[in-house]
Amino acid sequence: MTTGELLLTAWQSDVFVYAVAAAGVVAYAARMQWKLTLRALWLALAAAVFLLAFVSPIGVLARGYLFSAHMLQHLLLVLVIPPLVLSALRTGSKEAPNSTGAPGAAGTAGTAGAPGARRFVLPWLAGVSAMWLWHAPTLCDAASNSIGVQRLQTVSLLIMGCAFFWPIVGPRTARRLPPFGAMVYLFAACVACTLLGILVTFSPVEVCSIYAHPVDGLGAMPLLRDGWGLTAKADQEIGGLLMWVPGCFAYAGGMLAMFARYHREEAADELAAKEAA
Amino acid sequence: MTTATTPHVDDGKHEQGHDHAEEKGPFSWVATVDHKRIGILYLLTSIVFFGIGGIEALLIRIQLAHPESHFLDPETFNQIFTMHGTTMIFLVVMPTLVGFANYFVPLMIGARDMAFPRLNAMSYWLFPLGGALLHFSLFAGGAPSAGWFSYAPLAETPFSSNTGTDYWILALLVLGIGSVAGAINIIATVITLRAPGMTIRRVPLFVWMTFITAILIVLALPVLNGALVMLLIDRQLDAHFFQAHGGGSVILWQHYFWTFGHPEVYILALPAFGMISEVIPVFSRKPIFGYEFVAGSTVAIAVLSFGVWAHHMFAAGLGHRADIAFAAGTMLIAIPTGVKIFNWIATMWGGTLRFTTSMCFAVAFLIEFVIGGLSGITFAAAPVDWQMTDTYYVVAHFHYVALGGTLFGILAATYYWFPKMSGKLLDERLGKLNFWTMIIGFNMTFFVQHFLGILGMPRRVYTYPDLPNWGTLNMVSTIGAFVMGFSVLLFLVNIAKSVRNGKAAGDNPWDAWTLEWATTSPPHPHNFEKVPPVRGRRPLWDLANATKEGKNKRKSGGTSTILEIAPYDKAIVGVWAFIASEAMFFIILILTFVYFNLSTKAAAASLDVKTTGMFSICLFASSFTLHRSEKALAAGNESGFRGWLIFTILLGAVFMFGQASEYQKLFTSGLSVNTSLFTSTFFTLTGFHGLHVTLGLCALGVILWLAFAGDFKGRRHSSAFKAIGLYWHFVDIVWIAVFGIVYVRNVL
Repeated sequence: MTTGELLLTAWQSDVFVYAVAAAGVVAYAARMQWKLTLRALWLALAAAVFLLAFVSPIGVLARGYLFSAHMLQHLLLVLVIPPLVLSALRTGSKEAPNSTGAPGAAGTAGTAGAPGARRFVLPWLAGVSAMWLWHAPTLCDAASNSIGVQRLQTVSLLIMGCAFFWPIVGPRTARRLPPFGAMVYLFAACVACTLLGILVTFSPVEVCSIYAHPVDGLGAMPLLRDGWGLTAKADQEIGGLLMWVPGCFAYAGGMLAMFARYHREEAADELAAKEAA
Repeated sequence: MTTATTPHVDDGKHEQGHDHAEEKGPFSWVATVDHKRIGILYLLTSIVFFGIGGIEALLIRIQLAHPESHFLDPETFNQIFTMHGTTMIFLVVMPTLVGFANYFVPLMIGARDMAFPRLNAMSYWLFPLGGALLHFSLFAGGAPSAGWFSYAPLAETPFSSNTGTDYWILALLVLGIGSVAGAINIIATVITLRAPGMTIRRVPLFVWMTFITAILIVLALPVLNGALVMLLIDRQLDAHFFQAHGGGSVILWQHYFWTFGHPEVYILALPAFGMISEVIPVFSRKPIFGYEFVAGSTVAIAVLSFGVWAHHMFAAGLGHRADIAFAAGTMLIAIPTGVKIFNWIATMWGGTLRFTTSMCFAVAFLIEFVIGGLSGITFAAAPVDWQMTDTYYVVAHFHYVALGGTLFGILAATYYWFPKMSGKLLDERLGKLNFWTMIIGFNMTFFVQHFLGILGMPRRVYTYPDLPNWGTLNMVSTIGAFVMGFSVLLFLVNIAKSVRNGKAAGDNPWDAWTLEWATTSPPHPHNFEKVPPVRGRRPLWDLANATKEGKNKRKSGGTSTILEIAPYDKAIVGVWAFIASEAMFFIILILTFVYFNLSTKAAAASLDVKTTGMFSICLFASSFTLHRSEKALAAGNESGFRGWLIFTILLGAVFMFGQASEYQKLFTSGLSVNTSLFTSTFFTLTGFHGLHVTLGLCALGVILWLAFAGDFKGRRHSSAFKAIGLYWHFVDIVWIAVFGIVYVRNVL
């Protein structure tokens, strides 16, 4: 088997995946009262990424072949799809500046502390445990041995990912963290995931034993092991590095977006203050 | 508008609780808590160490001036380059930057002092103490000689048997603690003490970059401290963290060192970026181009700097996959740095340039730093790194960054801010001479080292064979070093001369626009008579133009345009920064435990999970009782407050008793810190946790004592109590992690 053949043939159909995607789209449309706005593009994008993660070779290889493909799928579910979904959910009314209250913005500066620690502690824990829990060897094996657990994993990752991003890009702007708080939030999550990435990369222990000895139904193993040079150890290393380096860049990108948001909001406030005067 | 500013100034006066009357005499300098005096102390002490480090550099260059030289013997050479590197980084550049930050951050944000003036004094005094410890090694059997990064196993007892490395460790620990304390102070100052109107969007870029640097210090230094502690335990207590023969990992030291070391590069560079960002606009008569991008790229650099340390280890054998990932990350960092360079150039573009000495150094910074940055990018390609690593090409690269970048930034800042600090202008003619000799000397010294490196000359070797061109190039380099030495002398002469009879500077000699120029030169002990209103990024410019363009405009900009600064409690902000720092320290210890015990269950045999579990419940419960105590205080129920507090202390003490009895049991069964990697990691981790609990108990004890002394009478809020409470909760949370990883995991 060549790489080209693999990319052409390793596609799969999964009713469960279609069902989740369809349910998501229908639920969204119902919530938007069946009115199509430009914002729905975000949801379309999210659904497309979701399908790609399961139906394409990424999904096929993630199922028992490559830990790194599994990790890529995992990152898409936690770090890419949730912010897309939440961006789609935001309603237009947010744009009115007076909805956030007084200018001068409570959003100004400052690390954590004051209001409602509950608002971000649980979401943060959800986002971080989405990464950590499913990479405990026992749970990782359980998910690869049972299709039921695997589906539970998929859904829980999506939910935990959405919970994590809720305080940042959640639809209710007033309930979001102020930009600098959001930066601290993202940075702390980045540290937690980096640690996991480091452990997975350098760990002598197999995170998920199924990837060490795949059952090769496709006949792709010779290509993966010899053609691509992915030994089980190399595969796990790449998985760890995916979480560590690009994963971290995703959080870093989020932090920069928050910084930009601060400047945008602050500039609007300054303008408002000037006009008031 | 005055009504908006005065409350702030008053706030400062009452909060600090000490009156800055004019202090006189040498003892007043020792006892001072004034941020300006402390800043000057930092700078003066740095100059002393700069002299020492500079002489060491010249000794190195004399030794290397010609092939097969025996001016220095190999051991002395090792000691000298180790001391040169350590001195220049930890005793010269970092304290100089902290010194400037100390002096100017409060002035630039319109504050009266730092958030914690006494802590500030402590941070400073730890600096000469650290320097003294490092240099005392000379009298105690020889200076450290394992290089500034003290790679294991070279730094371990079998290869560095004298006490030099121990003093090196102690000195760096002391300096590290001082730096973290200073950084916490800067963070709290910038967050809580900005004048009305000085939103984060308007702070001068020097303040912003110093703030980001402080965050880097708070997060990166503890990683070094954690590694140093383990190295010290290796050396003094015979453990094997970083020694292969006991099962330890020498590579682990490199990982830890560079996890600190790479952010450290930006700790040294970012404040200099900030200085340049102040100097270039003022001498171009234009506001900075793309403020948001300069500020935002700083954030990007800071975050990325934690993710690229392994590029220092391409030659260590991490494997292709890791090398590729880190090469990509490293190249990414070039983007935000490049953004800055273009912003500075665009600021100068079309401006009315005034080439004062300060501006000359700033422009030179741009050129030299780009050279250092570009040679840095060549290292991002792992194969190039394999070829060049540990040659003089590396020496050339990091000197272009550290001198061409940071030192030139510092010199630009010195010529720019010296008038504010002394009231006298530095002599421009001497300054220009200083500038040109520095440029010529610097490039002579280090540019040729690129070629030496490509020719294959290894660094850190005391001499070299007489190969074609090596002798000539090295001689050029040595002559350049002496030209630089001469230039530094000119600089010192200029300072000495100008302090005594320089031209009077006036309040604002450069016609600059940030707040430090609004007060006298040198400023009063209390900084400002009245902080000018802040309605933009250039308050003095706004003020001058408002008066020029007619009074109607000034009227229209009434108090309403002064944006309020969200009030944060400095004790709470400070303790959060401290907790972040401590978290990094514990992460390193926990990571080490996990790394060495992942595949073994050595712990299961020796640990009693049930008993420790019972004692742990006491500790967890203490968080709850402390919370009740806080609630009681807030409700004005003083006896409840005291009662719950006593209960908390008792629970903490019971936990410590449990820890002590467990240690006792382990000791009697013959286990100690050097028995195995499990015991080393176990005792280090739980020991440091125990130490933190003990410190927490002491702090709670002080609160209790104050409570009985009636200090909390009628006070429903105490930020001091709340801050200590946060620390206590943090220590409990750390124990949840430790208990889960060390004990529970073993039972499963």
